[in-house]
Amino acid sequence: MMDPGRWDRVQALFHRATDLQAAERRRFLESECGPDAGLVEEVLALLAEDARGGSLLDRDVAHLARGVLEGAAQPSIPTEEFGPYRIVRVLGQGGMGVVYLARRDDLGSLAAIKILRDAWLSPTRRDRFASEQRTLAQLNHPAIAPLYDADILPDGTPWFVMEYVDGAPLTEYCRRRASSIPGRLRLFRSVCEAVQHAHRHAIIHRDLKPSNILVKADGTIKLLDFGIAKQLESLDLPADQTQTGLRLLTPAYAAPEQFRAGRVGTHTDIYSLGVILYELLAGRLPFDLSHRTPAEAEMVVAEQEPEKPSVAARNTDASELARSVGATSWADLDVLCLKAMHKDPQRRYRTVEALIRDIDHFLAGEPLEARPDTLRYRVGKFVRRNRAPVSAAALVFAVVVGLVVFYTVRLTRARNAALAEAARAQNIQRFTMSLFEGGDREVGPADSLHVVTLIDRGLQEAKSLDGEPAVQAELYETLGSIYEKLGNLARADTLLRSALDRRRTLFSPGSPEVTGNLVALGMLRVSQAKFEEAERLMREALDNGKRRLPPGHPAVAQATFGLGLVLQERGDYDHAIQVSQDAVRLYSTPEEAPTHELAASLGQLADDHFYAGHYQISDSINQRVLAMNRQLYGERHPRVADVLINLGASQFDRGHYDVAERYDRQALSILESFYGDNRAQTADGLTQLGRALVFEKKFDEAIVVLGKALAIRERIFGPMHPTVASTVNELGNTAVAQGNLDAAEGYFRRMVDIYKTAYGAKHYLNGIALSNLASVFVERKQYPRAEQLYREVLKLYAELLPADHLNTGIAHIKLGRALLRQNRYAEAAAESLAGYVIVSKQASPTVSFLRAARRDLVIAYDSLRQPDKAARFRAELADTAAKQ
Amino acid sequence: MAPRNIPTTHGLEGGELGAIVADRRTLDHLFSVTYEELRRLASSVRRDDPGVSLSPTALVNEAWLKLASSPPFALTSRLHFKRIAARAMRQVLIEAARRRNAGKRGGGAPLVTFDDALEQKPSDSEDLLTLDAALEQLAQVNPRQAIMVESRFFGGLDVAETAELLGVSEATVLRDWRAARAWLSRELRAS
Repeated sequence: MMDPGRWDRVQALFHRATDLQAAERRRFLESECGPDAGLVEEVLALLAEDARGGSLLDRDVAHLARGVLEGAAQPSIPTEEFGPYRIVRVLGQGGMGVVYLARRDDLGSLAAIKILRDAWLSPTRRDRFASEQRTLAQLNHPAIAPLYDADILPDGTPWFVMEYVDGAPLTEYCRRRASSIPGRLRLFRSVCEAVQHAHRHAIIHRDLKPSNILVKADGTIKLLDFGIAKQLESLDLPADQTQTGLRLLTPAYAAPEQFRAGRVGTHTDIYSLGVILYELLAGRLPFDLSHRTPAEAEMVVAEQEPEKPSVAARNTDASELARSVGATSWADLDVLCLKAMHKDPQRRYRTVEALIRDIDHFLAGEPLEARPDTLRYRVGKFVRRNRAPVSAAALVFAVVVGLVVFYTVRLTRARNAALAEAARAQNIQRFTMSLFEGGDREVGPADSLHVVTLIDRGLQEAKSLDGEPAVQAELYETLGSIYEKLGNLARADTLLRSALDRRRTLFSPGSPEVTGNLVALGMLRVSQAKFEEAERLMREALDNGKRRLPPGHPAVAQATFGLGLVLQERGDYDHAIQVSQDAVRLYSTPEEAPTHELAASLGQLADDHFYAGHYQISDSINQRVLAMNRQLYGERHPRVADVLINLGASQFDRGHYDVAERYDRQALSILESFYGDNRAQTADGLTQLGRALVFEKKFDEAIVVLGKALAIRERIFGPMHPTVASTVNELGNTAVAQGNLDAAEGYFRRMVDIYKTAYGAKHYLNGIALSNLASVFVERKQYPRAEQLYREVLKLYAELLPADHLNTGIAHIKLGRALLRQNRYAEAAAESLAGYVIVSKQASPTVSFLRAARRDLVIAYDSLRQPDKAARFRAELADTAAKQ
Repeated sequence: MAPRNIPTTHGLEGGELGAIVADRRTLDHLFSVTYEELRRLASSVRRDDPGVSLSPTALVNEAWLKLASSPPFALTSRLHFKRIAARAMRQVLIEAARRRNAGKRGGGAPLVTFDDALEQKPSDSEDLLTLDAALEQLAQVNPRQAIMVESRFFGGLDVAETAELLGVSEATVLRDWRAARAWLSRELRAS
């Protein structure tokens, strides 16, 4: 440009010249500038520009924004990038992203794909998009569109797939059908249930409005757009204030505190629900904000009292509706609606559940809980309900006294029933599944931390619910199961036991609540490897459940399934098979309809047979599961891949590595096309295939395949993540099989490092890694070094695991062998025997570790000249060999 | 909260914004809000509905409403906030223009565009980039003028607000604007 001095000069001349007639300017400038002809031209050029219109600077930013944002971000989608989905058309777009209608090639089904546009713009946008995705993954409710899949385009644009909902916005639906007031309330009630479900998972929607609530042709509703939903857990953090500010609220449905960027919570959603109810009842919004500035809107919402819905209804198109119910009912509806949208959050319904209860009271003609507690109101209600001839004042008085008692009792009972119903409504099992086992495995350590915080907070809330032990117990069970998935078994234990204690006092033995809780605790015992107690719990659940519940009750089926699992874990395959068969029977329908539960129980039965060595039966059941899963989930669904992997494992065990390889390749191809070739699930499939290849001695390909799996896992989880360790372990085993002991040692040492970094020195997985490292030394015949490691492992286990844990037993057996190889027979016998006692308590007599222990014990006792003892184990060896 | 202490002796990069907006995270939030507002603005233009069409002024006001009570901004005056928002809007638009330009040149993968009704001005993004570069130059010789253009053009501040922000008279704002507009327009035409 020029230097500041010259620019000042140019400007001064420019301003003076603008005061002159155009014709005089050149002369003026020439006289001012003297010989500097350039300066004259410069100023003249500016003057010409000044006179000319149409500069970019005269346009407004809105048009420019449109040019660069709308145009650019009109996403050009590489169509082949959405896995099995093909884009059909745009469904809608908003500030965050674009939603497309898509069709699944293989199934022909429709879905909605949402992409984040301009993901580059800021991490906040990416976080929010990811948070919506996470929210959907956590929620599992018939009225909330579920998440199907998610990935990232090569250019970094994230996308996810969810259910496509074809329906009309709630208000439009009611208007078109001219729905009655009770009809509207019932639809509204379903909306509340969906919101309640979200609240139970500590999620607030924050943008509830009719356009986000679609009613399908069959009259069911779907709640959409969790784009600005919020996890309650972070509400106390100061940073959240900023995030609160981030929401792009819809003023007509926003609560006063949302305008003020105040504290947002479940009460915010309750307010929006109140506005929606108002609109449904009155046929218009409580406030007309359409021509208000934001500041005015804020004031109206914060200060102005809305007209009562009953009054508003009479003055709108909904006047038909207004006349359809009586004045007293309208009085109740006014109370119900205005309590939900009270300006003071503290004075709204405290929970959506409470709102639902009052809707139910209204529909049943019972007194509202929100109603001021006057006798007149209650008596009035009673008179209307019973149409009793209660005109005489004396009679009224007599009735009133009895009535108060009657209603108090009645209300309590109705309330408990509602609570119990609401508590049942949440499908805990599937929630936890979707959160921790579903498509969400890419969430790294940071996110699991996030989940932990969330759950911890949930626990605090649950603890404060002392007045509602049934709900508290339900929450404790949910949280307990989640802690179990997160690996915090001690806390899971406390919670599940507290839940069980509460339920035992509230419900009878054999009730669905107690039965379900026993099963949950039993499952925890399985995770804790306390199989004996697990079995006792499952049996208690099953025996009492069978006695008290109808034979086909889900709780009974669940307990049966659970017992089957315990027996399988204990290695009691004969009984496991019987029980799993019962579970299959309980889940079967006369039409043999495939269901998720039936497929799962058949899968368990197939596993029982597999472990029992009945490979052909296992295979034939698995073929049935395969067909069922294909029908249930589609030809190329991960669940289909799971069965293929099991079929492969069966072939693998029988030494048919080539057949196993073929199954694994099929499974892998499904996983690759479903998840892409860069996802955790794909890495699982690769690991499986790698194992088969190792045994086929196709070491080169095995190393390539396992290497790929390793690269994926390293990319997703980072080089020091425990998942990476398990692939490293396979590579270590490959190296051992190749006799490449140095490489093997390297792999196992890395495994040790990873576990130490991830879990600290005190974790039992370190024991497993050290134990594998020790096996390298055994291979090298460096028995003292192996021995030293095994002793280290045992010391670790003694600190961390119950004395009779399976892993402890196995370590004793391995140590025994290292001692035996050093001809230290007495010590060897002691270790092998200790291991033998533990393992035989936990596992089937035929497991390989027990066979190894028996063999070693025979050798040790023979060498120690204790023929009686040797004979005992020799006999057992022969016996189990016969059973095999 | 007097907004008089705007440093006008150095360029705009870093320092100033950094001092007001404590951390990147806050700035990032501001950008996100700005972006969404800009997009809303853009789509209101698209619908050609005068009733919903937003001005940059309204837009910045809304961003203020949304962020004002958040801790990083709680101590910032409304005017000062607008100044920051204008800066954010400039950067969002420039970044978008940059991307758009790059996209036009690069690529080659088979793409499908779903919006055929689109008739964007191809030169907008280039113009914006030129303007950005010219504003940088202007900031070198007269930082106050650069802030002024940014605040008025990108942030929709009116003359009175701009005068208050810069601690000058309204007449000065009008004079400065006129000269800067002329010079920038010439740079735009020259490019």
